[in-house]
Amino acid sequence: MELLQYSIRKIIAGIPLIIGVTLISFLLMVYFGPDKTFDLLGKNPTAEEIAEVREQLGYNKPFVVRYAEYLRELVTFDFGRSESTGEPVTGLLARTIPVSAALSLPGFILGNLLGVLLGLLAAFYRGGAPDKFIMASAAVGMSISFLIVIIAFQIIFSSSFGLNLFPVRGWSMDTFGDYVRYVTVPTLAMVFVALGYNTRFYRSVIVEEMNRDHVRTARAFGVPPAQLYYKLILKNALIPIITRIMFSIPFVIISGSLLIEQYFGIPGVGKATYDAITTGDQPVLKAVVALTAILLVAAQLLTDILYRAVDPRVSLR
Amino acid sequence: MSVSRGTPLLRVRDLAVEFATPQGTVRAVDGISFDVHENETVGIVGESGCGKTVTGLAILGLIPSPPGRIAAGSIQFAGRELVGLDEEALRAVRGSDISMIFQEPMTALNPVFTVGSQMTDVLKRHKGLTAEQARREAIDMLGKVGIPAAARRIDEYPHQLSGGMRQRVMIAMALSCGPKLLVADEPSTALDVTTQAQVLELINALQDEFGMAVILITHDLGVVAETCRRAIVMYCGKIVEKAPIEPLFDRPRHPYTHGLLDSIPRIRADKLDRLPTIEGRVPDLLHLPSGCRFADRCARATNECRAAEPDLRRDGDAAFACFHPWEGAA
Repeated sequence: MELLQYSIRKIIAGIPLIIGVTLISFLLMVYFGPDKTFDLLGKNPTAEEIAEVREQLGYNKPFVVRYAEYLRELVTFDFGRSESTGEPVTGLLARTIPVSAALSLPGFILGNLLGVLLGLLAAFYRGGAPDKFIMASAAVGMSISFLIVIIAFQIIFSSSFGLNLFPVRGWSMDTFGDYVRYVTVPTLAMVFVALGYNTRFYRSVIVEEMNRDHVRTARAFGVPPAQLYYKLILKNALIPIITRIMFSIPFVIISGSLLIEQYFGIPGVGKATYDAITTGDQPVLKAVVALTAILLVAAQLLTDILYRAVDPRVSLR
Repeated sequence: MSVSRGTPLLRVRDLAVEFATPQGTVRAVDGISFDVHENETVGIVGESGCGKTVTGLAILGLIPSPPGRIAAGSIQFAGRELVGLDEEALRAVRGSDISMIFQEPMTALNPVFTVGSQMTDVLKRHKGLTAEQARREAIDMLGKVGIPAAARRIDEYPHQLSGGMRQRVMIAMALSCGPKLLVADEPSTALDVTTQAQVLELINALQDEFGMAVILITHDLGVVAETCRRAIVMYCGKIVEKAPIEPLFDRPRHPYTHGLLDSIPRIRADKLDRLPTIEGRVPDLLHLPSGCRFADRCARATNECRAAEPDLRRDGDAAFACFHPWEGAA
């Protein structure tokens, strides 16, 4: 009951956020973004032709009216059809989001899991050689451009110059083996980059927890190191860890894999978004922006509920 | 009060603890020696930074390393040398033979585990009890330290308890495995005055019941006077005076002890304009004076004091490190 009430309150509180995000995005999209007008016209269009196309696309309506329409679409979750392909936007999302999720999930999970493990290891040996090595590697991972990593990994793992073990690009799923084949190199690239940031963050979180008084108490009562780190310290560090993980979920699903999908030719929602941006496919963009905002609110809600599960001091009242 | 009572339970000799800082090595504890006998309460008194907490931590091998280390000396507990013992052996001692309780009852317990989980964990580890036995034992201990409805409170989290209750939980946890020595680091400092007295009384009462020795680390001479049989006064990492309580309070020898006693607020016939204090500041451990460490703040200091460091001189049951000790009554 407490949980339900809390969820309802949180969802209501999320509405202004969704309105804010969509309003700003829509404003930018309408006034500064590309549109379809000249794609649909031949060479040297007349002023009448331009006006007619804009009329058909609805571009000439006042902003307020267009935004109101957007909100209606948001509530009914019907964004019409893509202006590029004519495919219903909802269908497009239903087709591409699972692909993106399947693509980014292994990298996301591994990146965080290994990040926490390496963070623990570095914190345990802080100041020592393992700590310095892990932190130096993390700095390297953070400093190299994602693009370079992708291209380098493609050359190393997928070309005849390297190991030539995996397909360079594409996504054709028949068996689980196919999945592993196509997802491995993107996952490695994602983990490589994510680890740099994650390890640094998790190490600092864990080091902070290590200096707490209750850790000294635990040591004074003979708690062995494994239990100290994996149980006592980690559970206390979970709040910042959960925050970081939960808030990156919307971006991982929607936009985080944009570059990966582009470079590996994977038909996910990131690639669909990229195509929509370059061609000015506004229905698709509107849907993606709305979905990101909704996922953010949902992530926030879920984060708070998880806090409650981890930390008895957190109240949902 | 006799001096010789067989082998002491705890025998600390020439203990030195060093910390590496970016500015250089600091000796937080510099060659201190003392004994603690079975069943007795010894107070370690001094200002913050004098090394009293570090001494307590050193006894349990809890000096954070790096940056700290025990640079020299010996700590013998029941005839067994603790300095240089490996971590695993030390872990077996901590919380079972020697327990420690800390100043901050608000933060010294883990906030995300229940009282019961933290207590049974200790019991299971040191006494090899099953979960159920440990729980029964823990409830029993909570009752002994005066926590009402212990069977219910055991499932609460630290934030649901008051400061005094939390300190009681700490004490229950510390005594649950029947330690022979309890190191209590400012156990009552963070509590309000009425709770302070209760907690100290509790420690005293349980000390008799469990037959353990207590090292009470505090800056509060009043607490020492009420609970300890002997006291050790520390200044800048050194012992400046150690003596049984009555002579220490009636006739302090070291000017620092004298100053400490003078600065205790009390009801006086004539109101003072201001409380007597010890002038000056504790010297920086990085830049210690060459002679007596207290010389710069001492009214009795002479050139002799600034030239050489006084050694601890025995005087019956007591000892003090001063060239010009007070002789008469305080």
